[in-house]
Amino acid sequence: MTEETLDKPVLTLRDISIEFPTPKGVVQAVKNLDLTIQKGRRVGFIGESGSGKTTTALAVMQMLAEPGRVASGSIDLAGMDVLALSEEEMRKTRLSRIAYIPQGAMNSLNPVMRVEPQMWDAIIAHEGNMDRTALKQRSDAALASVGLPAHTGELFPHELSGGMKQRVCIALGIILNPDLIIADEPTSALDVVTQRQVMQTLKDIQEQIGSGLILIGHDMGLMAQSVDELAVLKDGELVEHGTVKQIIEAPKHPYTQDLISSVPLVGGDSFLNPDRNADAPKRDSQEPLLRFENVRKDYGAVTALHPMSFALQGDTPQIISIVGQSGSGKSTMGSIMLGFNPPSQGRVLYEGQDVQKMSAAQSLEFRKNVQAVFQDPYACFNPFYRVNHALKFPFKQFGLAQSEAHTQQAMEEACAAVGLDPDLVLSRYPHQLSGGQRQRLIVARALMLSPKLLIADEPVSMVDASLRATILSNIYDLKDKYGISILYITHDLATAYHVSDYVMVLYKGHVVEAGPPKEVIGQPQHPYTQLLIDSIPWPDLERSWGDGRGEHDVEKLQAQVERASAVYRGDVAGFDLARV
Amino acid sequence: MGRIPRDYLINRLVTLVLTILIAATIIWIIPRLSPVDPAEIALGRMAAGAGAVANSEEILAQLRANMGIDQPLIVQYLKYLTGALVFDFGLSTAAFPTPVSTLILNALPWTLGLMILSLIITFFIGNLLGALMVWDRSPKLVRVAIPAAMVFTSIPPILSGLLLMWIFAAKLQWFPLTGAYSIFVEPGWTWSFVSSVLYHGFLPALSIVIVTFGFWALGMRGLMITVQGEDYVKLAEAKGLRPRYILYRYMIRNAILPQITAFALKIGLLIAGQVLVERIFAYNGMGKLLYDAILNQDFPVIQGVSYVIILMTALSVFLVDLLYPFIDPRIRHEAA
Amino acid sequence: MAETSMTRAEKRQLRRLKRFDNPWMNPKLIWGVGLLLGIIALGLIGRVLWDPELVFTGSAPLKLPPIGFENIRGQSGVLDHPLGTDGGGRDMLALIIIGAPNTLFVGLLASLIGMSIGIFLGFSAGFLGGRTDDTIRVLADVMITIPPLLILVVFQSAFGDVTLTLMALLIAGFVWQSPTRLIRAQVLSMKQSGYVQMAQLSGASTSHIMFNEMLPNLVPYLFGSFIANVTTSIVTAVGLEVLGLGPQRIPTLGRTIYEAINAGALIQNLWWWWGIPTLLLATMFIGLLLINLGLDEVSNPRLRKLS
Repeated sequence: MTEETLDKPVLTLRDISIEFPTPKGVVQAVKNLDLTIQKGRRVGFIGESGSGKTTTALAVMQMLAEPGRVASGSIDLAGMDVLALSEEEMRKTRLSRIAYIPQGAMNSLNPVMRVEPQMWDAIIAHEGNMDRTALKQRSDAALASVGLPAHTGELFPHELSGGMKQRVCIALGIILNPDLIIADEPTSALDVVTQRQVMQTLKDIQEQIGSGLILIGHDMGLMAQSVDELAVLKDGELVEHGTVKQIIEAPKHPYTQDLISSVPLVGGDSFLNPDRNADAPKRDSQEPLLRFENVRKDYGAVTALHPMSFALQGDTPQIISIVGQSGSGKSTMGSIMLGFNPPSQGRVLYEGQDVQKMSAAQSLEFRKNVQAVFQDPYACFNPFYRVNHALKFPFKQFGLAQSEAHTQQAMEEACAAVGLDPDLVLSRYPHQLSGGQRQRLIVARALMLSPKLLIADEPVSMVDASLRATILSNIYDLKDKYGISILYITHDLATAYHVSDYVMVLYKGHVVEAGPPKEVIGQPQHPYTQLLIDSIPWPDLERSWGDGRGEHDVEKLQAQVERASAVYRGDVAGFDLARV
Repeated sequence: MGRIPRDYLINRLVTLVLTILIAATIIWIIPRLSPVDPAEIALGRMAAGAGAVANSEEILAQLRANMGIDQPLIVQYLKYLTGALVFDFGLSTAAFPTPVSTLILNALPWTLGLMILSLIITFFIGNLLGALMVWDRSPKLVRVAIPAAMVFTSIPPILSGLLLMWIFAAKLQWFPLTGAYSIFVEPGWTWSFVSSVLYHGFLPALSIVIVTFGFWALGMRGLMITVQGEDYVKLAEAKGLRPRYILYRYMIRNAILPQITAFALKIGLLIAGQVLVERIFAYNGMGKLLYDAILNQDFPVIQGVSYVIILMTALSVFLVDLLYPFIDPRIRHEAA
Repeated sequence: MAETSMTRAEKRQLRRLKRFDNPWMNPKLIWGVGLLLGIIALGLIGRVLWDPELVFTGSAPLKLPPIGFENIRGQSGVLDHPLGTDGGGRDMLALIIIGAPNTLFVGLLASLIGMSIGIFLGFSAGFLGGRTDDTIRVLADVMITIPPLLILVVFQSAFGDVTLTLMALLIAGFVWQSPTRLIRAQVLSMKQSGYVQMAQLSGASTSHIMFNEMLPNLVPYLFGSFIANVTTSIVTAVGLEVLGLGPQRIPTLGRTIYEAINAGALIQNLWWWWGIPTLLLATMFIGLLLINLGLDEVSNPRLRKLS
């Protein structure tokens, strides 16, 4: 590849504005955007949902959803005016010159077709009919280039894992050697380990065919590790554009600065400000607050959680983190603790009482004292009621309310404590609030009930990045200011590092490493924990994500992980984990 | 791969057997709860024919023995069930002594022919039109005209049958008013007979088609709207596939799946609707047989016809269920 | 694209978008409800303004055509019987005034009972799970394939005359399956939903969860299912009546059609005899369809885009 070809722009966006007519007038989704992408360069579009990054990409593909349209400006694809193309010309341009790898690869493949024919039909649509062996050769080659064996082509999409599906989508994207690849959050549904592999594949193949790449995302760390240039979008405007180095080291726009600082780092400054240490609420019982006795959970033939025993004393408020990827059994643990899911073996004891065998009165007491914050803030509110129903109802149910006015006052105080304006939110319907607002309301709800234990299951994984730190510090305050013990279930090691007093890393239902966060996450010893930490994309150019492409032999790693025995890194008072 | 999972098969078989058993039992129980004595009906019919009947008590007893209703109920029930297995429902009381199975065997081909024809036509037309209503490249006409035509589809087929019959048979006299074929042709594989059958079958089939395609079209419309928003359709467009290919292979192919299940569930209702259409067109099928049997209080025939129709329904549902794993590969995966 | 056409298209789009604001102001829904209310009003007001005694045989001359038409005997319609009379000398207007509400009544009653059974069984199956769920599920699967018309044919030919209410009860025995399946599926998915778990965490009782948390969100589905069931029930009832198996002494639209067909009204060109009840039934079904389409659009905003 010579310097000359490198510098030729493959995409030039000049003064692009995109509009969506709505009942309340025309909404400008993208405003006067100017951007040039050189051949062979990787450009990241970063911004929150609604910032116009996907809309811009769809405009380049001429696939804007009705009634959106490009109101002004020009799109030049290596010398071709995209907006002037006829429908048929545009169809031929798609994939052959611009490939789009969509968000949510989980559902991007036709569920009733095998993988191969879905690659063949793309070739045929552009190059006309050809014989089967030729097609088969091309699809096998494309699959091989993303590291998939040829027999993958004969499978149906539902027979593939998430990472494999995403690779198939990449293979599809490059099958006609396009000039430009647009990848829209290609790894958002994958766990960090798979994310790194898939991103590496995408980078390799893009370098191989020498196309331009637009990577759309919201994760500064992933961008830092993957692209050459960054375009920061906010509310449809390009607020900053430059090389990754420029932007990460010297962000100019305050929004960019926010984006960078909102990513918690292992070992970096804490985003929390512990100001005082409240005492735990007085307890009558000598028994530990929560005890797992040899708890196991099977789903059919699969064991989601292997026998586990621990006791959380609960006399001093603590945050215990349970860290793992999807399928590690961490959410199963959460629902077993809440009594939603009976264990297949063993007992869960709340103050010495089996959670599954409680009388009505005991159950009410248990519910009052063990509360939860769930992952999906959208689902937690009944769409039929105003949001205050979710706060008011338990308050009355647990007999905490003295009067209507008292309830109202308690709700308002709780809202204020999590930084929400009660007048603005309490009498709204759930769909009128943002995800962040809803999740804070759920935290406010927990605060109102002042339980002894809160189970927070991925409380920030579905809210926008800039709000995560705020919500986590709201949750941290529950312990710090109100003395509530918390079990924090997460896949995010960096936040667990900062908030917790004790960390357990779960892998396939086993604890693989446990101890204080400074040790477990700061200096991991178990290969699985190490793999997890290595896989996190840091927004730090010095800290490379591993350029050893392909050298991560998944099977070898897996075998290594399975062989290693659990590592226990020291104890904290008030929490005893039985060593297996 | 390629085989139907065992659990799934067993599950469907149990449902099939239970359906037939429950339906057969209901049909058997109901007449026995009735105060009407079939032997007396038969006697009444004889009396009407002969003027007066001597030793009526003896004849009654004889009739009861012939009909088997002098035996204990459980014996009757078991006999009935074993009979039903081999399609033996005894003798018709009205067309005595013709076996019920003969009557049904004569009527069945007509009903099956009409049914298969009209069902297939409606299913295809309905789903295609429903899909075109959603597709953004359909001609304007399609997207305006079909919703308007949809108004017909809320009407049950007997009503549309009446209207069509009046307009095309009674008023315009383009089509024959009744019957399944002209009385002037000999049944056989001759062109004149076949054309006569088609000619006579046109209106009954049409009256079913015009009122049932809308059901499929409406369902398809809803499904297509969902499929239209799916990521795989977006990716198909991003792949630069031809729109028509996307419509058939990506959109309709996926949207049709729940429709096939609905097809199985609707078969019973559709056949029942068709029975009524046959009745008003005096078509020589099961509908007419059933209607005549009702008029004559001919219970063995009523039972036999109902049983056969329910059996047909249950079998079609079973067949659709068996084919389904081949149409939707995910089923094979889930059940396995 | 020319600028003028753009703006016109845009205006149309805006007008269409405005309608999204209040989903219940749905033209289909309003028309459908209007048609059904019209039929009910016909029955109520008709009884006051017209003589209901005219439904009895022989209360009027035979086979008179509606006003403005002539029958084959050359008689023209008279003001005393504006919609004509049937072959038994019954006044058509009186027939539909009495018959149409009867038909609607059977449909509504059967559907109401069917829905109640469906809600009960659906919630039981979804909530209790295990054996109860299996039994209810299989039963619903089995019963949904049995065409009600045939069972009812057997029943009514065995028992002879039935009352309207009894017929409604019998039909109800066949319209509980689809609401049961629907509610069961919804309850199962709602059981996993965040807000139900939240309510459990709030110490809510099972009945609170069922009636206060789940039921309100089921309302659009229940409405839709109810209307679909009314249609099925009326179709079944009319089917029985057209076969001559409905109530024998109570005027219904279906029975009127049965008598017309039996008397050869089609050949004699007595179109009003069967045509008027057919038209009325068609109106009823169109009304029900429009309500159903309207409800669909209310509960599924994606459908609204297209109309």
